[in-house]
Amino acid sequence: MTLVFALVWSVPFLWMLVAAFRPGAFGSAGMASLIPDFVPTFAHFAEAWLSADFPRYTLNTVIIAGGILAVQLVTITLAGFAFARLEFPGKRIAFYLFLLQLMLVPVVLIVPNLSMIVRLGLYDSLMGVMAPYFASAFGTFLMRQAFRAIPRELEDAALIDGANWWQRIRYIYAPLAMPAFIAFSIVSVTSHWNEFLWPLMVINSPDNRPLTIGLATFTRGQEGAQAWGVIAAGTLLVILPLATGFLLFQRRFVNSFISSGIK
Amino acid sequence: MPINRRILLGGALGVALLASSAQAQSPTEIDLFFPVPVDGQLARDMNTLIKDFNDKHPSIKAVAVFTGSYDETLIKTRAAIKAGKPPAAVIMSANFITDLKIENEAASLDGLIKADGKTNDAFMKQFWPALRGNAVLDGQVYAVPFHNSTPLLYINADHFRAAGLDPSKPPQTWSELLEAAKKLTKREGEKVTQWGLSMPGNYDYLGWIVTALTMSNGGRYYNEDFPGEVYYDTPSMLGAVTYWRDLIEKYKVVPSGVVAGPAVTTSFLAGQTSMMLLSTGSLTHILSNAKFRVEVGFVPRNVRHAVAIGGASLIIPTGVEGARREAAWTLIKWMTNPEKSGWWSRATGYFAPNMAAYELPEMKEYLAKAPQAKVAVEQLPFAKPWFATYKTVPVRKALEDEVQAVLSGKKSPKEALAAAQKTADEILKPYNAETSLRNF
Repeated sequence: MTLVFALVWSVPFLWMLVAAFRPGAFGSAGMASLIPDFVPTFAHFAEAWLSADFPRYTLNTVIIAGGILAVQLVTITLAGFAFARLEFPGKRIAFYLFLLQLMLVPVVLIVPNLSMIVRLGLYDSLMGVMAPYFASAFGTFLMRQAFRAIPRELEDAALIDGANWWQRIRYIYAPLAMPAFIAFSIVSVTSHWNEFLWPLMVINSPDNRPLTIGLATFTRGQEGAQAWGVIAAGTLLVILPLATGFLLFQRRFVNSFISSGIK
Repeated sequence: MPINRRILLGGALGVALLASSAQAQSPTEIDLFFPVPVDGQLARDMNTLIKDFNDKHPSIKAVAVFTGSYDETLIKTRAAIKAGKPPAAVIMSANFITDLKIENEAASLDGLIKADGKTNDAFMKQFWPALRGNAVLDGQVYAVPFHNSTPLLYINADHFRAAGLDPSKPPQTWSELLEAAKKLTKREGEKVTQWGLSMPGNYDYLGWIVTALTMSNGGRYYNEDFPGEVYYDTPSMLGAVTYWRDLIEKYKVVPSGVVAGPAVTTSFLAGQTSMMLLSTGSLTHILSNAKFRVEVGFVPRNVRHAVAIGGASLIIPTGVEGARREAAWTLIKWMTNPEKSGWWSRATGYFAPNMAAYELPEMKEYLAKAPQAKVAVEQLPFAKPWFATYKTVPVRKALEDEVQAVLSGKKSPKEALAAAQKTADEILKPYNAETSLRNF
């Protein structure tokens, strides 16, 4: 059963792989075939590579996804700790307000967010793409749950040894919540790696484009035909870094998801 | 030497002069938002065009900013205006101009035209008459046509000959279209190996194709003089949607479901579809990639020949002032002059909005080689404005969602159009409440 699902799920990826190497721009009779052609071609990769400044876009995407994650890890750890272990007035209300933010559709926030970015002087900069994501309601919630699951006795022991609050986070909570951190990182990086609409709003200069916008220049050809080979090759170039990373650390990731309860 | 007033004044004047000459040397920076309704090659062509402009205008530095699809370009432009960073100029889908004017987001260009010593009429006279309806609103010019299209019937001449049809005479009427489609469709048992006809059903494209069919059926789609009314639940549109449904369900000569524009092109180029209704904007791409002879014809008529124009125009958003506005105007005039208009037309297949482009020798030479490009121009006397209302996009989607349900066999045309009309009327309500339904 699992095998059947795995097979169904992998068909689009296999097809992309095959199409990327198939000679002919579009429309050869066996276009939809999964069987690779005898002589694979790299022409589509060359064309895709020429269509967009991939090294630059990849770098921008790495900066955006990496930068967001780096700041998020700090903010969600501190916020998660506060909601999990500290007592302060209005804690419950503040936490629910945080959760409410998860219900908002991101599209309605475009204009207010953009106005704020312009006022901060971050329009058309990578920082402008990153800034709205520095705090994450989902991450805060996740870390709060993870921290609450850690026995208080461990913290008490550290307290007796004279550890202050950040030492307790550093030596007790963070190491024990590692699976939650990893799970959150994957979700965060993949969503920001693939994001299209918000970067499109903020970025003007070609030099600041992330991969998704660079790729769009040749997949959104409304009135052209779909040059499947080139699209497949371009998409492959875009997902390659993420896919490689995932394959390399697959076991680790799966374990994190299981222990943190995210699917 | 005692410093007297004269020296001080002279000094101040000198500084001011220096400052102004320094300003003249640093170019005015302007940004142009452009959607790419075309493939990667044309995005590169756009950069060539802008580079050429910058080389010839050292006092201006224009940057082309790719902004996604037509719909996404609208979202980005609106967000940028609200955030106080309006782009200097935008290539905007021609049917969004009305909505932008209602929301006070597109600026009237009358002042700039007047400063050039022209009247609005004299300025708009350069462009095909069919284009003026989407550019001149309430007597004021809000947009300058940049690249425009009409739908065309593309046919595979080889398939026509094989089916015993004459490729030099593409179907002219709906019944001829149906007969040709029947002859062209090939089946192996229940499986269709070659479709007679295909039409795009994705967002934006679908509304435009339904418009073309409705107009050919005698209808109007919307009130050209008042942006608060659309005519979805009408006999002319019902006939158009029913015809499409019958081609799918009754005669099985058109694939069912929603086929996106690029997929229609792909299957046509692959020889799996013999005819398609598609924009002239794809013409160059299709001619240069088809391995067979392609002929084009008018959109077939039921009652009359009529189509809506498509494509995009250049606008200057409100809030763009001073030197940037002047520079944007220079760019707009340059991009729409006969020479550039013709060049872009040859690169894309869009027809050139500037009529004088067709008088240039390079255009005549091109048309002699690719006579198919003439058909869109010959269809222009039958062309009408593209539907443009208050909140154009949601009003259009109200129809598209319902027609998609018809194409997938989930709804009857009658109930779909009644539902579309209801949704659209609901969206138009606030505008009508302030205008046609206002009580004094």
